[in-house]
Amino acid sequence: MSEPIVSIRDLKYRYRGQKSLALQEINLALEQGEFLMLMGPSEAGKSTLAATINGLIPNFHIGKLGGDVVVMGRNTKDYSVAQMAEIVGMVFQDFEAQLFSTNVELEVAFGPENFAVPREEIKTRIDENLEYVGLEGFRNRPPSTLSGGQKQKLAIASVLALKPQVLVMDEPTTDLDPISKMGVFEITHRLCKRDDLTLLIVEHETEEALFADRIALIKEGQLIKVGPTREILTDVALMESLGVMPLGIPKFFKAAGVSELPLTPDEGVETFKSLKFQINDLAYQEMVAREKAKLEQLNEPLIQCQNLSHTYKGEVEALKKVNIEIHRGDMVAIIGQNGSGKTTLAKHFNGLLLPTEGEILVNGKPTREQGIFALGKSVGYVFQNPDHQIFSEKVFDEVAFSPRIRKLPEEEVKQRVSEALTAVGLEGLEEEDPFTLTKSGRQRVAVASVLASNPDVLILDEPTTGLDYSEQSSMMNMVRRLNENGSTIIFITHHMWVVAEYAKRALVMKDGDVILGGSTREVFSQSEVLRDAFLRPPHFVEFTRRLGYTFLTPAEMEACLEGAHS
Amino acid sequence: MDAEIYIDNNSFIHRLDPRVKIIIFLLTFVAILLFQDPLWMLPITVLIVIQLVASGALVNMRRIRYILIVLTVSSMILWNIFSSGDTKLFWIVSVQSLTYAVSRTMLMILMISTGMILITSTRNEELVNGMIRLGMPYRVGFAISTALRLVPTIVTSTVTISQAQRSRGLDLESGNLLEKLKKFLPLLVPVFISSIRNTNIFGMALESKGFGASEKRTFYLDFQMKKADYVVLAFSILFMLVSIYFAVMGYGKIEGLIRS
Repeated sequence: MSEPIVSIRDLKYRYRGQKSLALQEINLALEQGEFLMLMGPSEAGKSTLAATINGLIPNFHIGKLGGDVVVMGRNTKDYSVAQMAEIVGMVFQDFEAQLFSTNVELEVAFGPENFAVPREEIKTRIDENLEYVGLEGFRNRPPSTLSGGQKQKLAIASVLALKPQVLVMDEPTTDLDPISKMGVFEITHRLCKRDDLTLLIVEHETEEALFADRIALIKEGQLIKVGPTREILTDVALMESLGVMPLGIPKFFKAAGVSELPLTPDEGVETFKSLKFQINDLAYQEMVAREKAKLEQLNEPLIQCQNLSHTYKGEVEALKKVNIEIHRGDMVAIIGQNGSGKTTLAKHFNGLLLPTEGEILVNGKPTREQGIFALGKSVGYVFQNPDHQIFSEKVFDEVAFSPRIRKLPEEEVKQRVSEALTAVGLEGLEEEDPFTLTKSGRQRVAVASVLASNPDVLILDEPTTGLDYSEQSSMMNMVRRLNENGSTIIFITHHMWVVAEYAKRALVMKDGDVILGGSTREVFSQSEVLRDAFLRPPHFVEFTRRLGYTFLTPAEMEACLEGAHS
Repeated sequence: MDAEIYIDNNSFIHRLDPRVKIIIFLLTFVAILLFQDPLWMLPITVLIVIQLVASGALVNMRRIRYILIVLTVSSMILWNIFSSGDTKLFWIVSVQSLTYAVSRTMLMILMISTGMILITSTRNEELVNGMIRLGMPYRVGFAISTALRLVPTIVTSTVTISQAQRSRGLDLESGNLLEKLKKFLPLLVPVFISSIRNTNIFGMALESKGFGASEKRTFYLDFQMKKADYVVLAFSILFMLVSIYFAVMGYGKIEGLIRS
């Protein structure tokens, strides 16, 4: 066996000011041309480990490092990050902050410029790499005008222009919508076929791990298991215990007592048939009918859009004659690509935007007449990034902001804060500084601060983005509890499994129009329309569709299963 | 939202060599400072207005119109307080102090305009590149361009953040200036925090692409001085020399002005 490209020996690391180790006893070797996927829950040390490979740790971050990271004979202790850049490329999660040039070409040129590559050669590299990521038509555009997915592709091109031997990507798709994710994945699929490039990708999307050669699971700074992709992905119990999302298909078959676990929809259908499993049709029909009856009980209209249109600055038509009705007590997911009008629509619900044409009624009255301040009492809006709204030094003050601004007596403020914090599971943290909480903690504070004004309707813009699987589940379980206690919930999301698992109804948006709406099951059964909106249901749903049914969760399917010998 | 300052409209001024533009920028600053009398400042004012229109920088001036109005009002008041003259008009205002206030206000607005013309018509990279070719160290040039780059980021995040706070019942529209200011303060915390976080990632991305890896560096952008550049440069220098001549001869002063 040849010398590994990257070898990590007895690595440990502690950030300055932290008591516990961020990484401990890490031993890992990457062979040339290999594709390793690094997975684990939030705060497990994924990004920290990724940052050691190009020397950002120990050279950029301040902390204490033990052990060695050697890439192609260069020990990161002895080289600066800039020197390592020649052999290790790094792509970050935040696609806004890592681009800094005023046009696409210059962004790609920046790396080679730093290494005094001759101008002619830089030109060739710009051409090659822009073509590779499919941005050749955007050469003179400022990066700020590109979509998120295009920005991330540009970031990849600008790093590839340095001709690195190792490419590290730290959650490159976490903040992207499904179609942009696919675009970036399509590039990584091509990259992993190259023998001259070693890939290390930190990723939450388990379905994408299918393309990796090996998977490394990390938790609390320690490598729990490193092994071939199939071996790790079929270890459903281990993945769940680590808070990493397991694939639905192996999860289902494991519960059915199968030992050779299939991974993909193809394999799933094959196994299902070869084991002579059957779905009890009657049970399925009953389940669907029960669900339908339940949804029909929700019929009191709360939000009504009548030919709702919105045109930005008299030019960009963001919403085109939307006609929808949202009922009291419902839990509705709005799905679609970025730029399809999801957020524009949602911002009409609390009066942040007013229709340029058509009408929107909340509680039977046009939002135009109610105004955002009055509407804010009945419609709460949680923005995507909690850091855009948190500003207090104490959790209590943050949550008390809305009730106080509405001049409620201090007694009632206290009660509302404590109710809101209990609802989000943060009771007892009133005196904490919100900025010391984790992302999911801050997200909960943001939800609580909106709940404190006792809204009837809660709008959540991408509540699960940037959270790991177990945080996503607990966030959505909390939202579901609020719904069960009477709140109407509207959430925007890119996570299809969240829709499958939690939404009662789903609205699919494309080009400013709601092209499909109905119960989540109905929506997921319309594969063609979804594909048309560039959406892809989870593998598990796709697998059941191929069998002629639409099951949303493995548990549902088990309940209707016949012929299993568990 | 588009918060870029650079406007890509390929005007005559856009096509000038960045070095020429930087030199003109510096010369203009000197020319503005030479005279006290607003009448004597008129020629340079005309030239700047022409550039403002030609480069399309008026759009950017419109964007900062509130700042300009505040500056104008406060400057008119302050210079009347801090200077005086023999020909009293009313209260503390005299003909001399009023004239001087007008000229200092013009000075400020003109300086802002020149800066705006430069950054509206010159890409960040061109600016850095121009400065470096004029002898500035690369890192200094890069620092300046980074500072400019931060402006749009901060504007964009301020817009998002103010929407988030309005959704929670923060009423930013009503109230007097002081009350508005008080309500605006909470917005600054998330603005700063997100800017700091962005800067941190920016730093990492910069180093990860080999910033400062070697002493030598290629510049992908290349430009040559064209005929138009020489003509414009010659005209600017000529204009400058003439202005200096008149200033040295003692023209353009305000008679009887007393500055305290």
